[in-house]
Amino acid sequence: MDQAAIHATGLHKSFGDTHAVRGVDLSVPRGEVFGFLGPNGAGKSTVVKIILGLVQATAGDVTVLGHPAGSLAARRRIGFLPETFRFHEWMHASEFLDFHGRLAGLDRDTRSRRVPEMLELVGLAQRRRDRLATFSKGMLQRIGLAQALLAEPPLVVLDEPTSALDPIGRRDVRDIIRALRAGGTTVFLNSHLLSEIEQVCDQVAIINRGQVVAAGDLRQLLAAREVELRLGDGADAALRAAGLEPLSARPDEGRYTLTAGSDEEIARITANLAGAGVSIYEVQVRSNSLEDLFVRLADSTDQ
Amino acid sequence: MSLWIVADHTLREAVRRRVVLAAAVVIGGFLALYGVGVWFGYRDISTDPDLTASMQRVIVGFMLQGGMWSLNFVASLLAIFLAVGSISGEIDQGTMHAVAARPLRRSSIVLGKFLGNLLLLTVFIGISTAVMIAVVAIITGQFAERAWTAPFAMLFAAAVLLAVTIAGSTRLGTLANGVVVFTLYAVALVGGVIEQIGNFLDNPVTFDIGIATSVLLPTRALWDLAGAQLAQQSGSTTGMTGGPFSSLNPPSGWMLLVAAVYLVLALAYAVRAFQRRDI
Ligand SMILES: Nc1ncnc2c1ncn2[C@@H]1O[C@H](COP(=O)(O)OP(=O)(O)OP(=O)(O)O)[C@@H](O)[C@H]1O
Ligand SMILES: [Mg+2]
Repeated sequence: MDQAAIHATGLHKSFGDTHAVRGVDLSVPRGEVFGFLGPNGAGKSTVVKIILGLVQATAGDVTVLGHPAGSLAARRRIGFLPETFRFHEWMHASEFLDFHGRLAGLDRDTRSRRVPEMLELVGLAQRRRDRLATFSKGMLQRIGLAQALLAEPPLVVLDEPTSALDPIGRRDVRDIIRALRAGGTTVFLNSHLLSEIEQVCDQVAIINRGQVVAAGDLRQLLAAREVELRLGDGADAALRAAGLEPLSARPDEGRYTLTAGSDEEIARITANLAGAGVSIYEVQVRSNSLEDLFVRLADSTDQ
Repeated sequence: MSLWIVADHTLREAVRRRVVLAAAVVIGGFLALYGVGVWFGYRDISTDPDLTASMQRVIVGFMLQGGMWSLNFVASLLAIFLAVGSISGEIDQGTMHAVAARPLRRSSIVLGKFLGNLLLLTVFIGISTAVMIAVVAIITGQFAERAWTAPFAMLFAAAVLLAVTIAGSTRLGTLANGVVVFTLYAVALVGGVIEQIGNFLDNPVTFDIGIATSVLLPTRALWDLAGAQLAQQSGSTTGMTGGPFSSLNPPSGWMLLVAAVYLVLALAYAVRAFQRRDI
C-alpha cells in the first residue's frame, strides 16, 4: 500500500520530430489531489494519455497503483475525463453512462444505482433522456465527469475538467474534487487555471516543454520568496561567508536578489548581514503567487 | 465479454443513426421496382410463342442472377460505408478516448466493431435475398433451390470487405480509406471482366491478370461462386450470358480458402495496427 498512485520515471515521447515529453519523473501520492500544470503544448495531455495507455511512451516507465500503465489492471482503477470530452452523440445521457458502466465491468444493479447518482451529481438528472447531440459544451463536459466517476475508481484523471464550465460549474467541480479526496480517492488534475489548482491541490508539478520544472508541496512552493536587497560595502564577501548564493547581483549598485523559503529565513539573512557589519539600505520581499511561479518557470525555460 | 459490448454498441449506433432505416428504405424501393420488372418481364416471355420452356427458365434465372448481383453490390457498399471511419473516424472525433481508456483490449474494440457490423449485414443480406428469391418464385413459379448459396457468398464477401475496411481505418482517415477500399473493390470487379475476356480470347496473360485481382481482393471471386450456382440452376450455358453479373468460369473451391485467409489476415492486421496506434 505504500506505493504511489502514479509513479513515472524517465518518461519520453516523440511524435515524429516533436519531442513532446522529455524525461518526466512523477510521483503522485495516494489520496491527494495532484495538480499538473504548464503552458499550452507543454506535454500535459501527452503524459495523461501515457498514464491511460492511450499513447505509448517512447521510453520510460509508468506504474498506476502498482500496475504497468495501460494494462487492464491499471485501467480498471482509473476514471478518465479526456481533454476533448467528445462522446457518441446519438446516445441518451443515461444510456451513455450505462454503456461506460458496462465497459467498466459494473453489474446491472450497480449501474442502475450509480447512473442516476452520477447524473444527479453533475446536475443533469433532468436531461437523462436527452441525446448527447442536444447537449451544450459545458453539459458534455459534465457528463464526461460523471462518466469518469461512475465506477468509483481509486484514481481519477481529469484533463482540464472545467475548461467549458461556467463559474458555478467550476465551483461544483471543486467541491466534487474535495469530496473525492475526503473519500480517499486520488485525483490527478491537469489544468492551467491557477486559482483552481491553488484551491484544491496538495501537490503540484509544473511542466514546460516536456520537462518538469518544479514539483512538490504547493504550500512550500508558494512559501518561497524573492528578497531584493540594497547593501553597503562588503556585501559580496558577507554573502559568500554566509553561504548565500544570490539569484542575481549587481555589486556596483549594491543590489542583490536572494530566495528564501520563509519569513524566518529572511530575518536570518538580514541578521547575518548586519552581524557582518554590512549596511542594509533596502529590503523588498516579493511573495510568489502561483501565477508568478508559473510565468517565471514558463519563461525561464523558453530561452 | 467487452467484445460483445462493443458489438452491441456498434449495432445500436447503426440503428440509432438511421443507417438501418436508410438501407431498409433504399432496398425496399429496389425490391419493389425489381418485383415490378420481373412481373412485366415474365408476362412477356411467358406469352412469347418463340421461347421454349427451357429458354424461359434461363431468362428467369438470369433475372434472378442480375437481382442478386445488385444486392451483392449494395451489401458491399454498405459494408464499406459502415466501417470506413470505424477507427480513425472515432479517434479524429475524440469519441475513442474515453472508450479506449476503459479496461478492454484494443482487439475487443476492433473485433467488436467487426462483429456488430457483420450481424447487421447478415440481417440485411438474409432478408433482402429471401425477399428476392420469394418474389421471383411467386411471380414466375420458378423456385431456385440452389440460390441459397448466393447469400452465403455475399455475406462472406461482405465480411472480407468489412475486415479490409476496418484494417484500412486503423491507419487512414475516413476519406482516404474510402477511396482506397472502393478502388480495390472496383479493380477486383473489373478484374473479373478481364478474366472472362482472357478466357474468351484464350489469352493466358489477360486471364492471369484477372486471377491476380481476385487475390488482391477476393470479393468478386466469392460472388462468382454463387453466380455459378445460380447459372447452373437455370441451366444456362457458356455464351448465353456475360458481363459482370455472370460467372462463366467459376473459381475453384480454393478461392474460399484464399478468402478465409485474407479475412483473418486483414483482421489480424487491424488489431495489430490499432494496438500500436497512439490515440
Ligand atoms: N498526436 C500527436 N501528433 C503529433 N504531435 C503531437 C500529438 N499530440 C501532441 N503532440 C505535440 O506534443 C506537444 C504536447 O502536446 P500536449 O497535448 O501534451 O500539450 P498540453 O500540455 O496538453 O497542452 P494544452 O494545454 O494546450 O492542452 C505539442 O507540441 C503537440 O503539438
Ligand atoms: Mg492538453
